[in-house]
Amino acid sequence: MATIEVTDLTKNYGSVLGVDSVSFSVEQGEIFGFLGPNGAGKTTTIRTLLGLLAPTDGTATVLGADVRDDGEFIDAKRRIGYLPAQLGFNEEVTGEQVLDYHASVKGDRRREELLEIFTPPVERPIREFSTGNERMLGIVQAFMHDPELVIMDEPTAGLDPLKQEEFNEFVRGERERGTTIFFSSHVLSEVRRVCDRVGILRNGELVGLEDIETLLDQGGKRVQVETTDDLESSLPALDGVVDVNSFADGVQFIYTGEYNTLLRELASHDIREIEISEPPLEDVFMHYYGDDESTRANQEVESNV
Amino acid sequence: MFETTRYEASRRVRGTAILTIAISLYAAFIVWYFTILEGVDYEAVFESMPPAMIEAFGIEALATIGGFLGTQIYNFVWLLGLGLYFAYAAGGLIAGDIEHERMDLLLSFPVSRSRLLVEKTLSLLLPLVTLNVVVGAVIYVLVQAIGESIDPMYLVLAHALSIPYLLVCIAIGVVLSVLVDRAAIAERAAIGLIFVLFLVESVVGGASEFEWIQYVSPTYYYDPTPILIDGSYELLDTGVLLVAFVVLLLVGQVLFQRRDI
Repeated sequence: MATIEVTDLTKNYGSVLGVDSVSFSVEQGEIFGFLGPNGAGKTTTIRTLLGLLAPTDGTATVLGADVRDDGEFIDAKRRIGYLPAQLGFNEEVTGEQVLDYHASVKGDRRREELLEIFTPPVERPIREFSTGNERMLGIVQAFMHDPELVIMDEPTAGLDPLKQEEFNEFVRGERERGTTIFFSSHVLSEVRRVCDRVGILRNGELVGLEDIETLLDQGGKRVQVETTDDLESSLPALDGVVDVNSFADGVQFIYTGEYNTLLRELASHDIREIEISEPPLEDVFMHYYGDDESTRANQEVESNV
Repeated sequence: MFETTRYEASRRVRGTAILTIAISLYAAFIVWYFTILEGVDYEAVFESMPPAMIEAFGIEALATIGGFLGTQIYNFVWLLGLGLYFAYAAGGLIAGDIEHERMDLLLSFPVSRSRLLVEKTLSLLLPLVTLNVVVGAVIYVLVQAIGESIDPMYLVLAHALSIPYLLVCIAIGVVLSVLVDRAAIAERAAIGLIFVLFLVESVVGGASEFEWIQYVSPTYYYDPTPILIDGSYELLDTGVLLVAFVVLLLVGQVLFQRRDI
């Protein structure tokens, strides 16, 4: 049986639909990324998987236990680590006390080892923790009882780039140890670097379920170029150019074709400024998974950046 | 077992100590005040007060130390003050964790929701027991010190029988705490409710037509002054309080089981 098995999961919050008939499964030992823009329903799905929300319809099992059955789920929870999006530790206690409490309930075989990688100032009260420190403490508590499955909601939010890289490295190491990891993210590049498989969620619906290679091929690059001559008119001739937007001194587009072809074309122009980067997640979705409301959502993503 | 109770109780140590000291000081002041009031004509004082007020604060037999303590400390601090305090504290138990999204992590523990609720509720036993034991002992010593005497059994009874009453206040807070998502709302609602129940019992007590309403209030089932004066109490009242506590806690359990976090 799969470690996580979700079938037609629907969560309806009265007026708003949280997730709509989502189905997927996560196999043992896999790193599964759950990708989607803010508000897509990632947190709703995760919280349903932990039994915090009761599904309106559909079923989900985690480590073989039905998440709707509080009693049945308890045994499975011993083997689950969880890192929520918001940690909300008690302000006045120290990091040490938080970990002691968590250890008393679920164990802490790996605590010391983890505190060497992630280094929250555990002797200080939580009130003095930065966002990144609080997140590191959250990561330690999620892994310290050596669970079979770790579920994380935006694990790297608030971590500085160096720690993010260490975290990615750590997660890859965990896969070697056989831990199953399920995490959500709205950052495509992060998911690309560590995941084996990715589920893409948008407006509460699962719009794609891909091997990471497939996603890599489809992602493309965002190219922003300023030229002294006219580049835009020659772009339609190139394969894999989409979503062309011109602005004052130049042009921006998503390129999914062969890199050498693009570079040859660019070389024939007088380039003043160029930037080739990861496309925003919404752009990727827009081109590969349909296009309703994406313009608005795209603007939201941009403003977040 | 009881990891959550231990953790939550450890967070209450400081507050419990402060509250215990504050109430002990207040008790010391009241006992001292009794010594300088000796010789006051209480009959005249009673006549000048409206009957509802006498009813509300159980002002009777002020001339004896038992009656005086019952009125000035137990009716005022135990029945009203601590009733409000424990309802307030219980109101924040669950709602506070939900509001600050702590509940997400707590419910990922291999612990059922009902056990978590019970363990958190049990953490309030720390202030409940400490206050009763310490302040009770302090009052006994102080009464001895001013040369008065009070039956220690009466004192023990007054404290012991307050526990079921305060448990009901806690349970009221717990029910409100699982109903709402914000600690401040649950806490205020719990305080408001206990205060209204206290008033209802005091005011309606005299009016025969609506007499039945007073039975709704937990304050009706704990009356410390007679216990302190002559050790009289109704075991049935304590039974009613304990049943109410269990029923309310079960209601809280069911509500907590079913709700989305």
